[in-house]
Amino acid sequence: MTYIGSSAPSKEAPRYVAGRGRYVDDLVLPRMLHACVLRSPYAHAHIQSVLVAAGLQASGVRGTLTPEDIKALSRPFKPGRYAAGLRVPIPEYATAIDKVRYVGEPVAMVAADTRAAAEDALELIEVEYDPLPAVGSPEAAIADAAPLIYEELGSNIAWQGQVSYGDVDAAFRRADRVVRENLKIHRYSSTPLEPFACLVEHTPERLTIWCNSQSPDVIYDAVSEALGIDTVRVIVPDIGGGFGQKIHLIRKYAVLTALMAVKTGRPVKWVEDRSEHMMAGGHSCEQEFDVEAAVRADGTVLGLKIIDTDDVGGSISTLTIHFTNKLNNLFNTYQVQHLRLEGRSVVTNRCPVVPNRGIGKPGMCFVWERMMDRIGQVLALDPIEVRRRNLIKKDQFPYTTPNGNIYGSGDYEALLDKVLANVGYDDFRRRQAESRVGRALSGSPGEPGRVRPTGEPLLGIGVVIGVEPGGRNAARDMAIFPQSKQMPGAGGVEGATVKLEKNGSVVFRLGSPSCGQSHETTAAQIIADVLGIRPERITMAGTFDSSLSPWGVSSSNSGNNFHLYDVGAVHGAATRLRDKVLTLAAHVLKADIALLRIEDGVVVGRLPHGGAVESVSFAELGKIAYANQALLPPGMEGGLEFTYYHSHPHADPLMLPDMEGRVRAQYTFSSAAHAAIVEVDPGTGRVRVRRYVIVSDNGTLINPSVVDGQIYGSAAHGISVALGEGFVYGDDGQLLTLTLLDYGKSTTLETPAIEIEHYPVPDPFTTLGQKAAGEGAAIPSPAAIASAVEDALAPFGVQVRHLPLSPEHVWRLIRGPDPLTEFETPGGR
Amino acid sequence: MTRLPITLTVNGEAYDGEVEPRTLLVHFLRDQLGLTGTHVGCVVGECGACSVMVDGALVKSCLMLAVQARDCQVTTIEGLASGGPSHPVQEAFVNGFALQCGFCTPGFVMAAHALLQRNPHPTEEEIRHDLSSNLCMCTGYVQIVEAIKKLATTQVAEGPKASTSVAGGLQASGLKK
Repeated sequence: MTYIGSSAPSKEAPRYVAGRGRYVDDLVLPRMLHACVLRSPYAHAHIQSVLVAAGLQASGVRGTLTPEDIKALSRPFKPGRYAAGLRVPIPEYATAIDKVRYVGEPVAMVAADTRAAAEDALELIEVEYDPLPAVGSPEAAIADAAPLIYEELGSNIAWQGQVSYGDVDAAFRRADRVVRENLKIHRYSSTPLEPFACLVEHTPERLTIWCNSQSPDVIYDAVSEALGIDTVRVIVPDIGGGFGQKIHLIRKYAVLTALMAVKTGRPVKWVEDRSEHMMAGGHSCEQEFDVEAAVRADGTVLGLKIIDTDDVGGSISTLTIHFTNKLNNLFNTYQVQHLRLEGRSVVTNRCPVVPNRGIGKPGMCFVWERMMDRIGQVLALDPIEVRRRNLIKKDQFPYTTPNGNIYGSGDYEALLDKVLANVGYDDFRRRQAESRVGRALSGSPGEPGRVRPTGEPLLGIGVVIGVEPGGRNAARDMAIFPQSKQMPGAGGVEGATVKLEKNGSVVFRLGSPSCGQSHETTAAQIIADVLGIRPERITMAGTFDSSLSPWGVSSSNSGNNFHLYDVGAVHGAATRLRDKVLTLAAHVLKADIALLRIEDGVVVGRLPHGGAVESVSFAELGKIAYANQALLPPGMEGGLEFTYYHSHPHADPLMLPDMEGRVRAQYTFSSAAHAAIVEVDPGTGRVRVRRYVIVSDNGTLINPSVVDGQIYGSAAHGISVALGEGFVYGDDGQLLTLTLLDYGKSTTLETPAIEIEHYPVPDPFTTLGQKAAGEGAAIPSPAAIASAVEDALAPFGVQVRHLPLSPEHVWRLIRGPDPLTEFETPGGR
Repeated sequence: MTRLPITLTVNGEAYDGEVEPRTLLVHFLRDQLGLTGTHVGCVVGECGACSVMVDGALVKSCLMLAVQARDCQVTTIEGLASGGPSHPVQEAFVNGFALQCGFCTPGFVMAAHALLQRNPHPTEEEIRHDLSSNLCMCTGYVQIVEAIKKLATTQVAEGPKASTSVAGGLQASGLKK
């Protein structure tokens, strides 16, 4: 049987389409209270006092938590694995204590009999603020005499550091040209449709929290450490989307809800609302890059210098996460040998930053792919040829990048060739040339601002390539912070349990939660193939439960862990179970184990020289293993259940950083080439994506339709990000995009019909040859759109440096520096 | 708190009770009737996760007070397949991998159902136009649009009989005659 590689029917979908998904907000406990969070209306202010009005109890309020309570009842969070490089220990609690640093920062919590009563009661908590000047942008943060967000740090540059590989300065001395560019990626988020939610019940025996966290280990540690409770049980029901958003800041609310449950002695539910999530759920970092590329005249890139300025918002708890994640795809698909990445993390009075579909990787890919286009322009070379010249070649795999990543397999040139063929690149260039011939451009050449935009749409194409790293290794962060006393958890460990039931069916448990990636479907296919039983007879025994699930340090739906750790664990547990099933069957059938095979849940024996065939079913073996000791082989343990913890068997070398800071930041590297064809309306600046074509190498595909879904979704997000979705702040630090509409999330109208071709090159180092298949397409897609829009705007001689390419931004690019004075706005569109 | 009497039919079952005047239909369905398949993603009418049918019309139930549904026939995701194991739209979503986390899914299924009821053979453009009422953060919409296209095509291929069976499902879901 081969279910691996087939689009086996989804095991999750039937319950979701029927409305039988079970999310945290669907759960109800007896005497349950509903909690609401009081949040700061100021971007930056001292908290003078927090007063709970008398008579609150009368209005159905059962409990309150003020900053004073929080400080008295809980311990601050440990900085955690995202704050490598923090130079002064700064305690951070679940609420602000004496100062608020972003709009929406939690200040207090109220619990009442109903949600409505809790919301009404928020008005009865009086907070006296002493507003401070807000730092509304990274530029403002580093300006002279900028107000300090953390006095302890003495500067709003909370971290500064660098990584350097090869001999960068020598590479620049050898260069024919140096190409310079300033690039920017804005703040955005994947905005999971289900916001954060927690439900906590505290009894003398234990504290149980149901929480839609992607990383139950974060919640487990946060709650047990903050409250000093040893017996914490974290249950993760269905999760309504994650994308990284539900890894980090959610811990604040888990602690708050837990404290409220302890304080009131009643179960407490807290569910975030949409605008709360937009202002305080966490954003992807605004990143600015000053880049210099040392190039030869033939387009060979000798070296790259990057200064990366990350706006990490009003918290130090994710200080370097967007920097260190760039180590994962630091060299993208290129065999460049010399690179220096300098970083600085700037605190601002904006929402803290969190992991989000690729974390710093979309930024890193944006740098490489924008530079490839720019180098092509400067050297008058075809930008695709510039890429081709620098690509790692097929015969160089396995390839070790200068910073220590090992790319197991790949064929990047084939991806490029195929994407060019699939998008019809040459044909498009012909059509584009024809459309440009007919276009009358007035004004003087060389003065882009003087070209009068006409009403005809402008066509452009962008072709980019990128890797999708997968599989965690948090020791990566030691590359920038070797003095760290605590190793942040090197490599990865993840477990799975597979059990053959008495009736011959199979149940399993995974060590990590799913938030829409079809873990149950995929794991069942693997078990089906290993054990020889149909997926219909295999079910997952519930969602994640820290008391029951085998889980390790990678127990996290993040960093593309599933394909490496969970797949390995499920495969390992199923393999061990199969061995025992066969051993037991050989005993029962009195047969040579080598002559047994499994056919759809039945172990069939054959005689060495033909003859009668005997068989025993899984159900019969199950009954023996659990209920009939007399039939067990002497010394065999009863039961047919195995738990296996998987670690990457090829995690070394470079699981830990060496003296040069070389470390395997992640373990597998999928890759994809993306081609976008866009149409720009010069009158409005609106960009429409006409075609979006991907050729993707995700290694061995376990379920192609599931992988397609991951690619479609992450590509659509990256495209939407590039086209304008994003957070906008006023200079006063007020968030102006509090709803999904203001934020600009793409609907079915803006999202193109994405085309995918798979070109899998199996990974030689993973269990099944699989590689990451999750957030991948969100990494190159912003660069693809930027490339295509720049190409469309070529007649105006403008360059795309900053995202998002909102209609306003594109309109301004077309019109040049003085858009309104020099031109009439074209009408009629 | 003042409570108002309310009588309505939800998924074919009559309900006779009281609600606070401020209760939104979505909260009434979820909290008072326990029909948790209708989800809250934004509560301001932008995401469509709470879409239900009210007297045959697609409604975002966060934009309607429960008392406004008095004497109405409401169909939620739980009632769509009345009688059968699943509705053709639900089957199309399952077969087409047209969902991931499942949170937006009930709303999309209801929206697709409403579209096919009005227009059994929509073009891709019509599907995309209609479903722009709903947001999905996981799928990029591709497999959703494809699933609906495929269902619509199958209905064409199988002729009016198949269409009738869809309409039958609709009728059973409590539409106005």
